Amino acid sequence: MQQTFISTIKQALGRSQGSKPAEDLFTTEPSEHEKIVLTQIQQRTSAQHNANMSRLREVTGPLYVNLHEHSSLEETAEAIAALIKEKSPEWGTEKHVCRWDHPLINQLKLESLPELSGIPIHTTPIFDVTDQARPIPSSQKEQFRAQVEQSFIGITSADYCVAATATLALRSRPGQSRSVSLVPSIHVAVVKEKKLLSTLEELYTLLKWDPAERKEGLTNNLSLISGPSKTGDIELIMVHGAHGPRELHLFIIGEEQ
Amino acid sequence: MAGIDSEKYKQNAHKAIADPVLQSALTSLQGRLGPATKKLYNTLPEGQELRKIAHQYRRKAIDNLDVLLETLAENIRSHGGQVHFAPSAEDAVEICVRIALENHVRTVVKGKSMVTEEIGLNDGLEQAGIEVTETDLGEYIIQLAGERPTHIVAPAIHKTREQIGELFTEKLGTPYTDDPPTLTQDARRALREKFLTADMGISGCNLACAETGHITTVSNEGNIRMATTLPKLHVAVMGMERIVANLEEQQAILRLMSMGAASQQIGGYVSYVGGPAAPGHSDGPEQFHLIIVDNGRSKILADETFREMLCCIRCGACLNICPVYGKIGGHSYGSAYSGPVGAVVTPLLFGINDASDLCSGESLCGACRQACPLEINLPRMLLALRSKLSEGDPSWQVKPARNQERWLFRCWQFVNGNRTLYNLFYAVARKAQKILPTQDGMIRKLPYPFNGWTSQRNMQPLAPKTFMQRWQEKQEGKK
Ligand code: SF4
Repeated sequence: MQQTFISTIKQALGRSQGSKPAEDLFTTEPSEHEKIVLTQIQQRTSAQHNANMSRLREVTGPLYVNLHEHSSLEETAEAIAALIKEKSPEWGTEKHVCRWDHPLINQLKLESLPELSGIPIHTTPIFDVTDQARPIPSSQKEQFRAQVEQSFIGITSADYCVAATATLALRSRPGQSRSVSLVPSIHVAVVKEKKLLSTLEELYTLLKWDPAERKEGLTNNLSLISGPSKTGDIELIMVHGAHGPRELHLFIIGEEQ
Repeated sequence: MAGIDSEKYKQNAHKAIADPVLQSALTSLQGRLGPATKKLYNTLPEGQELRKIAHQYRRKAIDNLDVLLETLAENIRSHGGQVHFAPSAEDAVEICVRIALENHVRTVVKGKSMVTEEIGLNDGLEQAGIEVTETDLGEYIIQLAGERPTHIVAPAIHKTREQIGELFTEKLGTPYTDDPPTLTQDARRALREKFLTADMGISGCNLACAETGHITTVSNEGNIRMATTLPKLHVAVMGMERIVANLEEQQAILRLMSMGAASQQIGGYVSYVGGPAAPGHSDGPEQFHLIIVDNGRSKILADETFREMLCCIRCGACLNICPVYGKIGGHSYGSAYSGPVGAVVTPLLFGINDASDLCSGESLCGACRQACPLEINLPRMLLALRSKLSEGDPSWQVKPARNQERWLFRCWQFVNGNRTLYNLFYAVARKAQKILPTQDGMIRKLPYPFNGWTSQRNMQPLAPKTFMQRWQEKQEGKK
């Protein structure tokens, strides 16, 4: 089928009459401008970091993103715990929380906070850290799925956060479940300040040309999230919480002095 | 709802103009989105120039579709996905139904997708006994009401909150309310149940990236992420033209599309899907299928006049500015594709003769081209369609217009080219017009076969003297 399909296209394009495909369709090295963008990211000064932070503060409001700034892991953990205590679940009465198995989130040690005792915090299962290609047994998958459905708050980190649009970039990896940022009513994202980029252009340039990023690729699922779920489908009136999370809380952890 | 009923264009347009609810909805939609999009174009870091550059990216992709589609297919397969090619709408539906049946699928959740609307996928699945739920709130409302979408991006814009409240009470059994947040919450609850239990999720594809091997989905509600993350199967359907070569181009067009579609810098949720969940990942679909659909697109590709239309990314910006769409709304076009884009694409996909009123109805004012993030020259193609309708074109199976009309224009050409004849014609017509009925000094009704012209408007009578006569008199007076 593919062959006939493509040959119909070739015919429509007049390939047999000598129209040749372009040779420069796929780029193999960054343009001069992209090289400048890459250096700009690598050599970011603290003044530029601050500029990014203030940009983020400006845009989060209109995008209905709740921005929280803290300077340490402990402070962040306390603030998240307070949020878990304060908010009430949308679908049931019991409070459950789910989270990524991710170095930064693990360091928050939410499970050991006394104020959260009694509230189950479910961690994304990784079957075998040393062998990431080994599939997770379906029973374990199903169990975690049920836990995510039960949870009213999902905690993730993000690869990057773009200041100009408050965009979080999340790739799928073992331990970094896609549904944690999607199914619970409240999405909590925790990001280190140094993961802040200024524009979408910087994000895409990194993803495309940075050697380490290039090696990993976009993965089978890259999600860019800018704000909570919203709809204007009834008389163009903006309502938050159509299908995805109703609230998005973004925690930025500054560099410890 | 596959196929079209565009022959009822005039009839439906009359109805739409007489509908005060629709009129105020259209006015507020255009008043809000049109200017907001225009403003956003000015904020592009690369400047307005990016729109021209992006047009070239799209054009280059279309001119190299063979290479790009094969690259995309190869890359998606290397990620563990499966790729299917569907020459016709029927093929596409059949492939999708087969995948569903092979996997014992009973329920499907769908993200909004124009191409599935075009090929009539829902009907096909339902005939196979599979329950299909549209999950975009607007599409869900339309599905419950059994109607067609009236706008590409805001499908239920023609419905009032009261109508939606009654619809929900009737179909979902929820207590009546006309409060949009409560209504949204009612739908959220009903659809969450569907998402969590569905066997298969179906999405469209906004713009695939060949080089990386990903399709993209964009939504603000998060419904497409739900539909493509939770069920065990994800089937994506894409029109074969929705692709670009590399990530740089993809992101530029994606940003422009977000501006055109919803006046945003970037859609709330953008996902790049390259394949099924990788091993070792705790969630995501076990199978990923991509169905690439031709359904008449290769014919458009082969015709240099209309090839530009394949650059369209269906953002709907042209609807938000079009003075004709702003009055007659989406249903008049009788197709999944409405507005200026629909006036070109519907005839090309479904038959120029069958949808002949669509291109004649547009005003050629040029606003759509200015509003289009890619500056696609819709007016040029509308005109080309009109000329095909008048002259006929066997390659598009277009019959020429009625002979009567052509003879009339030929006579007019003759009269116009001969001054004496022209003067004579005017002298006679000036006398003859006196017997026509008038209203406030305007002619109310022309005789057959010109009566169509005055069915909607009065006509200025011929002046007592032609310009040439007046000019001559003026010159003589000066002497
Ligand atoms: S013609 Fe342009 S404005 Fe209209 S839908 Fe297509 S891309 Fe958008």
